[in-house]
Amino acid sequence: MKQYLAIIVMDIKLALRLRTVIFFNYLFPLFFFFGFATFLGRADRIGGMVYVVTMSITFGVLGSGFFGAGIRAIQERELNILRRYKVTPITPAPLLVGSMVTGWIIFIPYIVLLLMMAHFFYQMPLPAHLFQLLVFISLGLIAFRSLGLVIASVANTMQEGTVLVQLCYFPMILLSGATVPESSFHGVMKTIHNFMPATYLVRGMSNMMLHGQGLLEKGNLVAAGVMLLTIAGGGLISMKLFRWEKEEKIRGRAKLWVLVVLLPFLVMGVWTWLKG
Amino acid sequence: MNEAPVIHVQQLQKSYDKVEAVKGIDFQVAQGEVFGLLGPNGAGKTSTIEILEGLRPRTGGEATVLGFDPDRQKQQLKDRIGVCLQATNLPTKIRVQEALELFGSFYTRSLSSEQLLKRLQLWEKRAAFYDTLSGGQKQRLALALALVNDPQLLFLDEPTTGLDPQIRLEIHGLIEEMKSEKRTVVLTTHYIEEAERLCDRVAIIDEGKIVAMGTPRELQQQSKGQSRIDIVTAQPMNAAALPQWPDALESRLAEDGRSLTVYSSRPARTLFEIMKWLDQQGMQLEDVHLKRPTLEDVFVELTGKKLRD
Repeated sequence: MKQYLAIIVMDIKLALRLRTVIFFNYLFPLFFFFGFATFLGRADRIGGMVYVVTMSITFGVLGSGFFGAGIRAIQERELNILRRYKVTPITPAPLLVGSMVTGWIIFIPYIVLLLMMAHFFYQMPLPAHLFQLLVFISLGLIAFRSLGLVIASVANTMQEGTVLVQLCYFPMILLSGATVPESSFHGVMKTIHNFMPATYLVRGMSNMMLHGQGLLEKGNLVAAGVMLLTIAGGGLISMKLFRWEKEEKIRGRAKLWVLVVLLPFLVMGVWTWLKG
Repeated sequence: MNEAPVIHVQQLQKSYDKVEAVKGIDFQVAQGEVFGLLGPNGAGKTSTIEILEGLRPRTGGEATVLGFDPDRQKQQLKDRIGVCLQATNLPTKIRVQEALELFGSFYTRSLSSEQLLKRLQLWEKRAAFYDTLSGGQKQRLALALALVNDPQLLFLDEPTTGLDPQIRLEIHGLIEEMKSEKRTVVLTTHYIEEAERLCDRVAIIDEGKIVAMGTPRELQQQSKGQSRIDIVTAQPMNAAALPQWPDALESRLAEDGRSLTVYSSRPARTLFEIMKWLDQQGMQLEDVHLKRPTLEDVFVELTGKKLRD
């Protein structure tokens, strides 16, 4: 426990000392928030404001997961920082848990700030189940940080990691309904949309903010379950494939473990597709 | 070795795919000993040391460190040893004292960061970020981190590589302190003077095998025992007139006829005879050097390579 606490406290201190963390976690998403809220967030358009808030949160969650957790883990390995940890008696578990918890502690104040600003500046009603919404977003955040850590585990170099992150990040931003509205997707695009892990985060947040649903509504509960499975799968796989040194390369076949983490979303996609 | 050895290695092997990095080596390290692994890059030193630290699995053979098997009892072993790695880094924005406290929290026992910082002359830098430290300060911090759990066994993998001579001397001083505290130290280096100055015993390793092992003096004596005498005279000497000096094994006169090199098994006697001869010839001596065989000479003799190849 002492190790977990020490790593979490240090990770938070280090994160808050880096201007890039502050910029990408707070300033950058807030810039989008204000930009879009000015156009879409008039008092008579609650749906527009929910759309802006959902988009800003999704940007933040995906950025925190893929860049904050994934790319940072690869950087630490490439810079031989993890090598220093390797000679101590700690296992990968405190480092991975530390990354998840730190990401959450840094991100949650941003969510609260965003909701308050949407409420006080743009008259968006506060969600009926605010706490449940925060739990749902927390699950999403940790699930995407798990995915980021799995990418870090299977990428042998920073270049490879960056390609994998971009391959996940941009389709999820564009096809999850976070930026382009879900109603615009038809045919093949609709099918692809249903396979995007971020779709379930966006859908759940919209349901809870726009329709006043709680976490226990069937659709939201399923989405939360899928995220929980991703957290569990991602956690186990990151632990199994964790590498302390850049010289330890992973074999090509081991990269298929990414598919295992994405399996809950694949199942959800197939299920939604079959349902038509 | 009266007590049980701290490290016991028998027929240790390590392969990376088809490359055999360590080819069945044997050695023991006693409590309180400073043991050096000396060899050029790629000789197998780092592979050997990393197996003993529990960082890499061995391919074959036996190894016990502080009574633990480095393959099967990694965590227990890592809790008891201190390691200073060859290439490592810390997060740029971690403060010196924070780093010691963080790493100290990973062990079941740890020394106070204040005590370590003062000892390693880092107290003034305790609040500095890692990326503002000089190379020497970073290396002192690396040594402080290796000592944070008060280990009785330390592995120092090329602790002075890339540092300037002044910092290297400081690090040597610190290692001598560890030696005086009766800590066991395993040191890899390709600096001869480091091994000669610090190590009680040295194993010369080349292409994954130990080619010689003993105290630096024993190894020097294991060489053909040739000391080298270099003489420079004001006037040229006549090559044909050079006598056979007593105990001299080989004499070489440079093209200018003024620089003479003589290899001897009993250099004092040979030198005396050379001086007598020069005096008889009425030659004026400009310079004289007597060089006993170094570990480098032993290494070159045994492997045909230079240590920094």
